[in-house]
Parts: sequence; structure tokens; C-alpha cells
Amino acid sequence: MKEIIKLEKTETIETEKDILEVNKKIAEENREIFESYGIRAFDVMGSVGAGKTSLIEKLVGRLKGKYSIAVINGDLTTTIDADIIGKHNVRVVQINTGRECHLEAHMIKKALEKIDLKKTNLLFIENVGNLICPSDFRLGTEKRVVVISVTEGQYVVVKHPLTFLDADIVVINKIDLAEVMGVNLDKLEDEIKNINPNIKTVRTNCRNGTGIEDLIRLLNL
Amino acid sequence: MHEYLTTKQIVDFVLNEAEKHKAKKVLEVQLVIGKLTVLGVEQVKFYYELLTKETVMENSKLTIEEEEPLVKCENCGYNGGINLKCEDVYHFFIPVLSCPKCGKPVKIVKGKEVLVKSIRVAV
Repeated sequence: MKEIIKLEKTETIETEKDILEVNKKIAEENREIFESYGIRAFDVMGSVGAGKTSLIEKLVGRLKGKYSIAVINGDLTTTIDADIIGKHNVRVVQINTGRECHLEAHMIKKALEKIDLKKTNLLFIENVGNLICPSDFRLGTEKRVVVISVTEGQYVVVKHPLTFLDADIVVINKIDLAEVMGVNLDKLEDEIKNINPNIKTVRTNCRNGTGIEDLIRLLNL
Repeated sequence: MHEYLTTKQIVDFVLNEAEKHKAKKVLEVQLVIGKLTVLGVEQVKFYYELLTKETVMENSKLTIEEEEPLVKCENCGYNGGINLKCEDVYHFFIPVLSCPKCGKPVKIVKGKEVLVKSIRVAV
């Protein structure tokens, strides 16, 4: 009896395919859309409860007389945030991601279909409450604003360094609670600037509006 | 956290490539994950095994190279590895965006990619 050994023919396919490229490409398309309509767009990121919605609410309140504002809210479920912002009579689109822990550029592109871009010149995008994942996915905005709050503790920055590598502005919120939380604001700021010396920081209390004007100046709005 | 989604995209891409090349089986996939992404290598491996079951990729070898970040300094012209900060409180090396040579801010050149570098198939 003869035995036949069949040699497998193998082939190596060189691909060099960047899996995150799709998002980068759509983010670039979004950026072109913003530019062509003259829309200033900002991605607001941060943990659950950091104060992203309160911050956007305060910004909308101060700026709605000057700009035609639209807001995109990202959350796994509910329209709670969209309802809060909607009370200010600006265009609000809620994206419910279901299971996804971050917004992606294609979601923004879809949401833009629901906004009258010709009548909009300022857009705030509230990312899903998460201080980790959104950093891998740019949305095409002019700047990325990270909101942290003193209730997240003294080590919130050093525990999430990658988020701060790719941010432009960090809002340190709930500063009225710093003393009771035992959080040293100067140290927090130093740690942010240590990781990324390009970052601008601003201290806020979104409840009473402290620091909002400083942020508006930083955003050049 | 988004390892499942990213691994699914990797597997879908490889399956598509395998089909284009009329491959009978995928033997090996070489992946490069930048250290500045927030993807966990162990989780990617876990989902890879799960997602390749009952496909031509089943039992294929997954090689993951973790890519060191590269930065560029426009002030002094430094081109190389990212500055790493280590303090007792961190128990970890933290990448920082200041130039290891002159201390000025640097730009990230590499380290945020998830690259399917090559696929070895049996045809």
C-alpha cells in the first residue's frame, strides 16, 4: 500500500491593514463636513457622572444667543441627557449605542443627517460616559474636551493616562467638593500637564457656573 | 472594553482576504497593536479564539506584536521612543508627551494602530 503525503502549499498575504483606519477615514469626512458648513465641533468625553451634560447645558445656556447650536448625546440607553439639553430649545440628537462603550465616527455621520447643518454653527458631542475607550476613536471634531471631577478621586488622571495623551482641554469639575474629597487640585493639574504639556486645564463648578466663561475663552467661542 | 468589536473586525477582514485568495485554511495571522491604544492583548486573543471557531481560521496561530510608541519633536528634531514616567505612586510606566531630549511637547507618530500585518494561508 502506497502512502501519499500531500504537501500543503502556503501563501503569505501581506496586508498592512489598519483596522482602526475605517474610523479615522470617516472622522476625516466628518471634519470636512464641519469645515464646509462652518461648524465648530467639540467632543466632550469623561466618566459617568463627571458632569459632561451639566457642562454642555451651561455652555448651551451661555452661547445659544450667539450661535446656532446642535448637540449629539451618546449613551448606551435612555434619552435622559438629550431631554435635559432639549429644554434649551436647541437641536438634540440622541445616539443610543446599546452595548458600545464609545461613540464612533460613523455614528456621528449618521446623526448629522438629523441636523440642519446649514442652520448650525456650533456642535457639542457628548461621548458615552467612559474615561478609557473613546480615546481610540476620533470623531472629526476640532477639539477633544475631557471632563473629570474631583469625586473621581486624586488618582483619576494617572490611572487613565492614555485618555489625556489625545485631549486638548481638561475640565476639572465639582471644585466646590475638592476640600471635602481631600483632592489637591494643583496636583491634579500638574499630573495632567506632566502627561501632556499641550493640554489646557480649567476648573469648574457646573452647578453654579464657576469657570464656564474661562472654558468659553479656551474654546475660542 | 471594545476588544470584541475590534477582534470581530480583524476576523472579518482576514476571512474576506482568505476568500479572495481562495485559501483552504488560515494558518497564521500577524497583528501589530500600538501600545497607545486601549486594547488588551489577552482579551483580543480570547475573542480571536472564540470568533474563529468553525471558520477557515479555526486553530490558526495569532501572533501579536505590541508596537512601541514613536514621537517626534518639532523643537529639537528628536525622533524616537516616547518619554516614560515612573513614580512610586503609579507602579506603572506612564507615557508622557514631553520630549526626552529637550522637554518640549512632542507629537505621536506611531502607537495608535491596530494592524493586520500579514496572513499565512494554505491554498
